[in-house]
Amino acid sequence: MNPFEEKLRNALRRESAPEGFAEKVLTRVRGLPQPGAKPWQQFGAFFARPVLRWALAAAAVCLVIAAGVVHHERQERLRQEGEMARVQVRQALRIASVKLNVARKKVQEINRETPPSRL
Amino acid sequence: MTTVTLPQGEVALARSIRGDAAAFADIVQEHQSMVFSLAYHFLHDRGRAEEVAQDVFLRLYRHLASIKSEDHLVFWLRKVTCRRSIDEVRKLPKAPTASLEDIAEPAAESPNLDPLLSRGLRRMVASLSEDARAVIILRYQEELELADIAEILDIPVNTVKSRLQRSLEILREKFHRWAGDVQR
Repeated sequence: MNPFEEKLRNALRRESAPEGFAEKVLTRVRGLPQPGAKPWQQFGAFFARPVLRWALAAAAVCLVIAAGVVHHERQERLRQEGEMARVQVRQALRIASVKLNVARKKVQEINRETPPSRL
Repeated sequence: MTTVTLPQGEVALARSIRGDAAAFADIVQEHQSMVFSLAYHFLHDRGRAEEVAQDVFLRLYRHLASIKSEDHLVFWLRKVTCRRSIDEVRKLPKAPTASLEDIAEPAAESPNLDPLLSRGLRRMVASLSEDARAVIILRYQEELELADIAEILDIPVNTVKSRLQRSLEILREKFHRWAGDVQR
């Protein structure tokens, strides 16, 4: 190694890592799955992370609320359809009743006009 | 019956793979200076170097199961740190390269004064291209042979040789100009 290379070696000698470096790394490592873990264990550990657990809980709550809203809307639609059907049946019965009355009156008129001897 | 005792590093590695956090802490303590220095000499920025070094150890933790030995661990750390540092340099907008005017600081100081000399040389190294920088840092910080550098950087030995020679020429030229400026 010539003198210039020696200078370069001195300039590029290793430096100490900043204070608390290892602790910071270990803090970040805590949230990770165990190194030798099987894929399914890593999958489990992935979902065991606190942030993810909160996110999953929030997602579950949102899902329950959404399911409730959908169920309520469906019930409401069924109720409205039932109400509409009831109105239609009533109207049909009223029309039928009117028609029957007309027919009954016609029959009565025919009976009155026809002499009993013709019967 | 003879008992085979494994070196301390191998034991810590084996225990880390089994999930022993204290053993992994030992590995971090053991190699933090190497990883941080590689990143620091690459990036010339302590904050970014620390970020890169932390990221390298997180990657190591995820890949511990694939590490076969203490030597493989050191090789892996050097390789990943170099790659990660190159990515970091390329990711950011072109950093201002150290011009000779920037390097020449107080004219009253002698270039033989070690801290000034070292600082100047580090800035000159930081002004090289990423590929050349990697070769110089691995050669003079880690004192590796050309074949080892070639393996880490995944390039032919002859390429390492030519990059090293070319980089040394550039650095020597810059250094002489700088030394002349400081002495004037």
